[in-house]
Amino acid sequence: MTIFVCRDTMAGILCGVYDAWMSRLGHGNVALELEDQGNMQMFCQYRQVEETEEKTEKVIRAVREKAGQEACEMIFRVSLSREEGKADRIYRFLVYALNSRRKITDMLQIPAVYEVFRIDRNVGNEAHQFIQFSRFSRTREGILVCTVRPKNDVIILMAPHFADRVPGEHWIIYDEGRNKAVVHKADEGWIVVWTDTDQWKENLTGSTDQKEFEELWKVFHRAVAITERTNYVCQRGHLPLWYRSHMTEF
Amino acid sequence: MLIQEQMELQRKLEILSDAAKYDVSCTSSGVERKGKKGMLGNAVSAGLCHSFAADGRCISLLKILFTNQCIYDCRYCVNRRSNDVVRTAFTPDEVCTLTMEFYRRNYIEGLFLSSGILKSPDYTMDLIFQTLRKLRGECRFNGYIHVKAIPGADPVLIEQVGLLADRMSVNLELPTAQGLKSLAPSKSRSRILAPMRQIQKGIRLQRTEIVPRATGRRFVPAGQSTQMIVGATPESDYQMIKVAEALYRNYDLKRVFYSAFVRVNDDSSLPVLPGGPPLLREHRLYQADWLLRFYGFQADELLTEEQPHFNVLLDPKCDWALRHLEAFPVEINRADYSAILRVPGIGVKSAKRIVAARRGTALDFPDLKKMGVVLKRAFYFITCSGRMMAPVRIDQDYITRELVGEEKRRTWDISHGDTYRQLSMFDDGRLSPAPGSEDVRGAVLGQL
Repeated sequence: MTIFVCRDTMAGILCGVYDAWMSRLGHGNVALELEDQGNMQMFCQYRQVEETEEKTEKVIRAVREKAGQEACEMIFRVSLSREEGKADRIYRFLVYALNSRRKITDMLQIPAVYEVFRIDRNVGNEAHQFIQFSRFSRTREGILVCTVRPKNDVIILMAPHFADRVPGEHWIIYDEGRNKAVVHKADEGWIVVWTDTDQWKENLTGSTDQKEFEELWKVFHRAVAITERTNYVCQRGHLPLWYRSHMTEF
Repeated sequence: MLIQEQMELQRKLEILSDAAKYDVSCTSSGVERKGKKGMLGNAVSAGLCHSFAADGRCISLLKILFTNQCIYDCRYCVNRRSNDVVRTAFTPDEVCTLTMEFYRRNYIEGLFLSSGILKSPDYTMDLIFQTLRKLRGECRFNGYIHVKAIPGADPVLIEQVGLLADRMSVNLELPTAQGLKSLAPSKSRSRILAPMRQIQKGIRLQRTEIVPRATGRRFVPAGQSTQMIVGATPESDYQMIKVAEALYRNYDLKRVFYSAFVRVNDDSSLPVLPGGPPLLREHRLYQADWLLRFYGFQADELLTEEQPHFNVLLDPKCDWALRHLEAFPVEINRADYSAILRVPGIGVKSAKRIVAARRGTALDFPDLKKMGVVLKRAFYFITCSGRMMAPVRIDQDYITRELVGEEKRRTWDISHGDTYRQLSMFDDGRLSPAPGSEDVRGAVLGQL
């Protein structure tokens, strides 16, 4: 078995797919793994993947032509997942996707397709939940900031929604766990920024001065519940506790 | 009546959202609209829920009354004229500030504006119109707005409001004219249905228009909805879903909401419900409502005059399937979409996945599980390539017994909250209790 070690990004994984495929060792004899994850296996050869833009583009073009845009987007979302085995899962999926004449994303009875479908659904659902449950507050400088701690790396999936919705404001969505942020400039675009220092955390927390509206929101949230129908189990089902740590009303 | 002119915004919000909470239609669905430069907001057709209140209902819109002053005296309503509660009203400016600031912070998906009737229906509708015009015009708000059409208001005003709002609704309140007469004497069915018909005509007319309106705004793009109170009057479930079906067919409604009656007023004409609001009944009505809208069922298939109420132990779809066992088992690999959709345990999503996936290869039971089918309910009713998952007798009594065992627990949870009982070895019905002193006395005296 030859294991190709790639970086934990979309480009890294796709280059890994390219190298593994083009090594001509046979699909059964190669596997993909992410850097710095898990134990090394015995009786395996390890090879570091070399990243180039050319390889990435080739794989993307092949996927788009042979499996369609939908499969391409699916792979992107899977690459944001926190699952360790995602690189190899994408490889196994592509083995089918690039050789199938039917619409591969519908073929859930194939285990390789189902695994990618499952991870994609998980990432997509989390992004959707964070679009709903993230809360912004205004800093003294007038910037809207939002701090989240998602399990999967979903802030990049949240950004287009908010860019469309709040185009005329400066806003930042900051992922605490990954030290990564989406920064949007009013009436222009948005970019993803990686931060290594804790400077961000300090700047983004505790500097908001809009307690007034937060208080109003809490009042509304309390008042709108019907006492006779109180049902905390139902509330927890729809809005699990772990989302609540960054929500204004809890 | 106590009317306070000067009141803090926070207190007003508390009173007016508390007064609006019995309105259930808090959805933000039905319209897809991209954001615009210089404006705030967009709309997502599936709708978004931004929070969940302590009663487990979603909070999607800023649900408020414009004012809780009202000239009517409806028996069931907390804001009726004869109730002694603190009365207040927002100003259009306050509504705009709250909406804009909440929206910007991603607390809400838009505004739900209802109102008590102040002075006259026309006057109230005009106040709502002024507020919406300010919100759309001056504040450049592009998010979702749901607004109530006030029965009896001038059609011109309703038309104007409809061009600013996304969804409008008129509450039917009670399913029959008789019920309405007894509990809401100042409302009449014809007055409620008139604006409903007007909105329907407006939406239909727009579909046939070739030249778009000069303003670029569409009339009530997300359609209209209504609401019925469950359990305040003696109507049966059959009457309720017949009315809902008629509304969907004849008035093109997007949604009918059901609201379990909560006894907020101590009134002799209102029923006393010792078990709390009829939540299970409301739940069954919603289940049936989904069957009407997405599963191709008709009201007459689910219930009849002879059997006017839903089964407490089984959901309407299982109940229907058990009464129509001749239609089963359904062959998953060959049956058409509509037949698969009628199997209990298979929903719209899984039915679509099945139809798409079986083009490749034949499906088996483990594959169905991956597609989201609830096998423990579905396996009595389906075959895969001519084979059942386990040997099952297609017998109504047998399947009912098996299904109820599973359903009973959930029904119990819904109607009894979260009280559980410890399972004990001695609960077994076959174990009779030890004879007590009375039994001994009876045996001595020769009584049985």
